[in-house]
Amino acid sequence: MIFRTPLSNIDRPQMEADVVIVGGGPAGMACALRLSQLIDAHNSRNAESPLSKENIYVLEKAREVGQHCLSGALLDPRSMRELLPGFEKDAPLDAEVGKEAVYFLTEKSKFKFPITPPPMRDHGNYVISINKFVKWLGEKVEQAGITVFTGFAGSELLVEDNRVIGVRTDDKGVDRQNQPKSNFEPGYDLKAKITILCEGPRGSLTKQLIGRFNLDKNRNPQTYGVGVKELWELPPDRIAPGEVIYTLGWPLTTHEYGGAWIYGSKDNIVSLGFVTGLDYKDPRLDPHHVMQTFKTHPFVRELLDGGKMIRYGAKSLPYGGWFAIPPLAGDGWMITGDSAGFLNSQRLKGIHLAIKSGMLAAETAYEALVDGNFSAHQLGSYQNRVEKSWIREELWKVRNFHQGFEKGMIEGMFHTAVQQITLGRGLHDRYAAHAGHKRLEHIGSLPAGGYGREQLLGPAKGNGKLTFDKLTDVYHSGTKHEEDQPIHLVIHDTDICNTRCTVEYGNPCQHFCPAKVYEMVEASDVPAGKQIQVNFANCVHCKTCDIMDPYQIITWVPPEGGGGPNYDGM
Amino acid sequence: MPDTILVVVEQREGKLNRVSFETLTAAQAMTAETGWTLEAAVIGSNIDSVAQEIAKVKVAKVFAIESPQLERYTADAYVGALKQFISTKQPKLVLMPHTYQVRDFAPQLAASLGRTLISDAIGYRKDGAKIVFTRQMFQGKFAADVSFACDPPHFATFQAGSFRGDKVEIGASAAPIEKVAAQVDATSIRVKPLDIFKEAKQAVDLTQAEIIVSVGRGIKEQKNIEIAKALADALGGEIAASRPICDSGWLPMDRQIGSSGQTVAPKLYLALGISGAIQHIVGMKGARSVVAINKDAEAPIFEIADFGVVGNLFDIVPVLTEEVKKAKAGQ
Repeated sequence: MIFRTPLSNIDRPQMEADVVIVGGGPAGMACALRLSQLIDAHNSRNAESPLSKENIYVLEKAREVGQHCLSGALLDPRSMRELLPGFEKDAPLDAEVGKEAVYFLTEKSKFKFPITPPPMRDHGNYVISINKFVKWLGEKVEQAGITVFTGFAGSELLVEDNRVIGVRTDDKGVDRQNQPKSNFEPGYDLKAKITILCEGPRGSLTKQLIGRFNLDKNRNPQTYGVGVKELWELPPDRIAPGEVIYTLGWPLTTHEYGGAWIYGSKDNIVSLGFVTGLDYKDPRLDPHHVMQTFKTHPFVRELLDGGKMIRYGAKSLPYGGWFAIPPLAGDGWMITGDSAGFLNSQRLKGIHLAIKSGMLAAETAYEALVDGNFSAHQLGSYQNRVEKSWIREELWKVRNFHQGFEKGMIEGMFHTAVQQITLGRGLHDRYAAHAGHKRLEHIGSLPAGGYGREQLLGPAKGNGKLTFDKLTDVYHSGTKHEEDQPIHLVIHDTDICNTRCTVEYGNPCQHFCPAKVYEMVEASDVPAGKQIQVNFANCVHCKTCDIMDPYQIITWVPPEGGGGPNYDGM
Repeated sequence: MPDTILVVVEQREGKLNRVSFETLTAAQAMTAETGWTLEAAVIGSNIDSVAQEIAKVKVAKVFAIESPQLERYTADAYVGALKQFISTKQPKLVLMPHTYQVRDFAPQLAASLGRTLISDAIGYRKDGAKIVFTRQMFQGKFAADVSFACDPPHFATFQAGSFRGDKVEIGASAAPIEKVAAQVDATSIRVKPLDIFKEAKQAVDLTQAEIIVSVGRGIKEQKNIEIAKALADALGGEIAASRPICDSGWLPMDRQIGSSGQTVAPKLYLALGISGAIQHIVGMKGARSVVAINKDAEAPIFEIADFGVVGNLFDIVPVLTEEVKKAKAGQ
C-alpha cells in the first residue's frame, strides 16, 4: 500500500498572501466576512492608506462550498446577529424551533423528561441545513471580494524558525504509486502573513501545529464523538417544521456516552442522527450500527414509517470543552471553531461559537494588518478577545460537563447536577479527562457474546427500508474521490494492523469507520490470515479513524482536493 | 416544411457505433408523438456503407456529410462541417449519442451556434409543444426535468443504455441518401491527429459488449478468474468485475462496473460471487437479463436478478461453461 505524502524535490509555484484561511466552514467564512467588513470600514475612513482584500484567500477542500459541512443542525443566532444584523431575512433558515422534547429510551418504551432541561431548550434557535447555510455565507464572502479556492486542501503547514509562514496546498494528479501523472499539478506554497486554521474537528494542519509546538501541554486531551446522520423525506404531517426531539439511553447502555437528535425541517424533511461518544470500551462497537438500531425503536420506526432515506453522512465533533482548548494563537497563526474545540457539549452546539471565534480572529488579523505586526504577541490578542467574550462565559459554565460522564451515565447525571448548582465547577476545579482511544479494552478481556450490546457491535445488516448496511449508506453520502491517487488514510505501520491489533483489539477500524473504508481481507501471507485493506474512496472525511485508532498510527491527510462527500442539503 | 429531428450517428473508420441505434429509437418515438420528420446524418469520409446501414432504418432521409478533412476525427473539422450543415438545414432538434467523441465536440458545436446542449439525458417526454428531457442528478438518485428556453436548433445527447437499439424500426424500403460535400478549411483544424492506436493492454469498451460475465469477491483468488474467463469466452462475452477485484489488481480498472467504474447495459449480465452493493448495481441495472450466482441467498444481487442461483460458483460455472460449449457446438 502506498500512502499520500507531498512530493519532494519539485518546484512549487509560490504565492504571496496576507491572510490564508484554511477551511470554508462556518468559522472560516465568518472570519473572511468579518475581515472584509473591517477592511471596508477602514478604507472608508482612510482613503489615503487603504488595505487590500486581494491577497486574502479561503482554502476549501470540497469541490463546492459547504459540501463537506455536516451538522444536525440547530443554529443559535447570537453570533450571526453580531456578524450580519437582520440576517434572518436573508439566510436559508428552514424553521424556527417551536416545540421540543427530551426522551429517555429503553428498548421498548420512552419516558419523556417532565421539563426540558434548560441546556436543551431551543426556542429562538433555527433548524438549518449547515450545507445550505455555509453556501449562503460563502456567496457573501465572494461578493465581498474575497477569493475562495474550492477544491484545494491545506496539506502542509509551512514553518520557518518556529513561525508559521503559510500553507502548502494538495498535489493534484498523483497516481496510486505517488508518482506524477500527465495532469500533475504541484501544490502551491501560499506564503501568508497570517494563517488561520478553520478546518473543523481534528483538523489535519491543526494536528501538525499542535504536535510541532506541543500545544496540548497542560491541557485535557481533546475528546470526541461521531455523529452519524441521515436525512429522511417523510409522509406529510409526521413532524412539524421546527420540532426538536433529543433522546438518551437505548440503544446505548449506561456505559456509553451519546444520544440522538430528530429535527423537523421544512418540506417534510427530517434530520436525524446519533452521536456516539468516541470513548467507549468495546472495540467492536460500531457507531453506524448504533444509528441503525436506534431507528428500530418503536417510537422512531413509527415516525419514519413510509418515509425514504435520502442522504447520509458522518462527522466527528469535539467534546472536550474549555480545558481541552489549545493556545489559540502564535507566530503567524490562529485556530478557530471546531479545530480549537469551541463546542458546548451540553447544548450540543458549536456553530455559533465557530462563527464568533472566526469573527474574533478576523478582528485580530485586521489589527495585525494595520500594524504590520504578525508576531505571537500581536496575534495573542485573539486569546484575550476569546476570554473576554461570551464564548468563555458559555463554555466556562460547562467546563467539566463531559468529563463527568467518563464513568458512565449515572455518575454523569450526578456530576451534572452538582455542576448545575456550583456554576459549572462540580466536585473539582478541573475534572481530568482521558483520550477516548485509551479507553478501548482488549477483546480478550471482554465477553465473547454481545452481553447486552448485540445491538451496538459489529456491522449492521439493514433491511433496505428502515435500516441500511454501511455501503448503502455510504452511497447516499455521494462521496467520490479520484481513484488513481495514493491512499490518504496514512497508516504508519500496517504490520501492527495485521498482527497486534487483530489479536488485541480485533481491528476496530472496521467498526468505528462509518464509511467502510477499512476492511480486513483474507490473505495467505500474514499470520492471522487477514490483512488490512483501505478503501479510501469511501471516506466521508469524518476523522474518526485518526481519533479512535488505539495505536494512533492512522493520520488522516486531505486527499486530492475536490474529493469527498457531497452533503448538498445536509 | 415540417419540423425535423436530425440524428447525428457516430462512425469511426467506417464502422458504425451501435449506440447510434439507441438514439434513432428515441428519435423515432419522438417523431411518432410530434409528427416531426426524422432525418439522420453520417459524418466522415468514405462512409457509404455506414450511410447504407442507416438508410435501412425508418428515417426520411440520410445525409452523408463528407470531406477528406473529416477522415480522421477532429473536433474542429466536425464542428465546422456540422455547423454549416445545421445552419442551412435548420432542424428543430439535433440528437446524438452521449459518446466520448460527442462529448468532445458537441459543446463547441452548440456554443458556436449560440445554442444550448442538454447532455447525457436518459429519457424525454412531450409536454405541450415542448420536449422535456430527463437528466440524472446525485448519481442517479434524483431525476431533473430540463427543457430548452432558447430558439431552435436544439441539441441533446442520450446516455448509452437509455433506449433499446434493437427496437429501432426498419423502413419498408431504404431511405434516400443525399451526399453533402462539406467545406472544411484545413487551416481551421488546430489538432493534428496521429495514428490511431490501441493501448497495449487492449482497453475494452464494455459499454459495447452484449454479454458480460462479471466477478466479485466470491471468486476468492486471482487464479480463479480463469474460470469466469472460460465462461465469458464460451459465451462470446467480456469479463468484468466489481470493485474489490479491480482494487486488488486482479483485473484492470477499465473492467470495473459500478459507480466508480463503467456503466453498462448488455443483453446478458452474469454476476458471479457479487453481493450486489448499490455501488455495483447502479453500473449494471440497465442490463436486459441479469443472472446471479451467489452462495448467500440474502445477497442483494438477487433482488434485481432475473435468474438467481444460490450455490457455489466453483461448482456451477465450470458445468455451465461446458453446457454452453455443447449448445454452441450443436447449433
